[in-house]
Amino acid sequence: MMKGGLRALAGTCALVLAASAASAQRRPTISLRADAFMMWVHSDTGLARTSLRGPGFGGEGRIGVNGLLFGLGLMQGQLKPGGVTGGGASHVDLVQGTVFVGGRLLPWLEMTAGPVVRAYVTDSTTERWVFWQARARVDAPIVVGQLASYLEVWRALASEVNLPTGAGRIQGGEAGVVFQPPQQRIWLRLSYRMDDALLGGPSGNETLEAITLSGGIVIP
Amino acid sequence: MSRVLTVLAILVAAASRVPAQSADDLLQQGVRAYQRLEYDAAVALLRESLLRREPAALADSQRARALSYLAATELFQQQRDSASAAFRTLVRLDPRYRPDELIFPPQVTNLYEEVRRSTKVLSVQVPPVTELHARLEWFTARVVTTSVQSVTATLARDDGTPVRTLYDGPVADSLSLKWDGLTAGGTLPAEGRYVLHVAPRPALQDGPRPLQVTLDITQVAPDTLPWPAPSGPALLPERTSAGPALGSLAAGALAGGAVVALPSLFGRSGEATGARFAVAAAVSVAGLVGFFAHQPRPIDANIRANAPARADWQRRVEGVQAENAKRRGQARLLIRAGPVTVAERAPS
Repeated sequence: MMKGGLRALAGTCALVLAASAASAQRRPTISLRADAFMMWVHSDTGLARTSLRGPGFGGEGRIGVNGLLFGLGLMQGQLKPGGVTGGGASHVDLVQGTVFVGGRLLPWLEMTAGPVVRAYVTDSTTERWVFWQARARVDAPIVVGQLASYLEVWRALASEVNLPTGAGRIQGGEAGVVFQPPQQRIWLRLSYRMDDALLGGPSGNETLEAITLSGGIVIP
Repeated sequence: MSRVLTVLAILVAAASRVPAQSADDLLQQGVRAYQRLEYDAAVALLRESLLRREPAALADSQRARALSYLAATELFQQQRDSASAAFRTLVRLDPRYRPDELIFPPQVTNLYEEVRRSTKVLSVQVPPVTELHARLEWFTARVVTTSVQSVTATLARDDGTPVRTLYDGPVADSLSLKWDGLTAGGTLPAEGRYVLHVAPRPALQDGPRPLQVTLDITQVAPDTLPWPAPSGPALLPERTSAGPALGSLAAGALAGGAVVALPSLFGRSGEATGARFAVAAAVSVAGLVGFFAHQPRPIDANIRANAPARADWQRRVEGVQAENAKRRGQARLLIRAGPVTVAERAPS
């Protein structure tokens, strides 16, 4: 499973490098983002169905050099039961870290890939997911330079989880609107994301939803 | 007694030869009899020639000649009234006709002039087809009178609507009645049927009767110039396009729809929260904001930049318009005249 992920990552990197080779030499740009979100996690292990929800915070930093993107992200939240069927933990901490590399192949298309580590931590156990993820993002300006909408989709190319059932496919998407005040380098974003991870058995999945309010800045 | 016998013999001989002789033959024989001073025979032959009907009838020119010889013969036979009657018939047939003074002596031609003056005749001669450029050329009709006569010539539509008075005044002998192809308002007449009405003034019971001619008028359309194409550099757009507005609306709508559809597209459970609808609404509102922000509006800078080229093009357009108006004003008229008939009523 991990070998396939490495191959996919290598392919994505080759594609992005080819695109970046054609672009002119430019100064690196750095962008930073802070997220505040409300998330919902629905877990169905086949034995029990659990719904958790809670706020979270996160952030992302990325640097762009000659059309190449390098970035890392971190998010953390505390989830509490929203409804329990068949038992479950009292609260769960969610921690997710992301590293990615990619590039903007077209003015409106960005592709990235990289590993994601996601952990659901309780007082007694830690459910850890590790997967290689490829992402594609389409930007559509609404008012040029001020308002834009976007849609981002992803799919795991390889995944592992420390559960007896093993990991199945993981995919998701995010869509939202970005507002950038005129003549400003800061921006605000409102988005909704859905991430669905199947367990390896015949049934069972974990679904992560989040409504995110983000603020960012671009440092040229 | 011998004269009576001679006439009877000629008439019997003529009657026996009638089927074989044409009116022209009779006329020639009558002229020869006149020249031989055989007046009785001449009168009989000439009258006989005049009595022939179609298709053996005399042509108008020959009929006029026959009437001249008949009147002269009657005059030489001291039948002045009969001579005058023949001349009156001749005047009505062709008011322009004059007996040849080399053939007929003054006493004959003087009688003719006397009869002509006393016989009031009005005639109109119109060319069957006339094609003319209005304002530049003329439609000409000839009005002939046998004595000084005031006439009024008017052109009207066939429904009686007056178009133009062409002449109102005396005619001593003949008049060339000219029309430049325009109405009283100086415009071209519409296509259709018109009536040229020539009436004596005042209209007397024993005077000549008014005449009319129908004129079918059609316009032969002139070639006009096409409008000039804008030349030089292409004009800059003077209004923003509606495309960005629709694009913004589409971007917002699609992203909003994506927010709503994400659980169905990527999730497996139906437990997605309804909170996403708030995000979808916000995205859609952003699309609407973009739609209204991108409404087409004038681009003043481009309008100013286009002004000289547009003014130049406008001048060329106006030049073409003026030339086309001039050409249309010089349209050719095709006028087909009908027969001259006696008018039943005067135009209103």
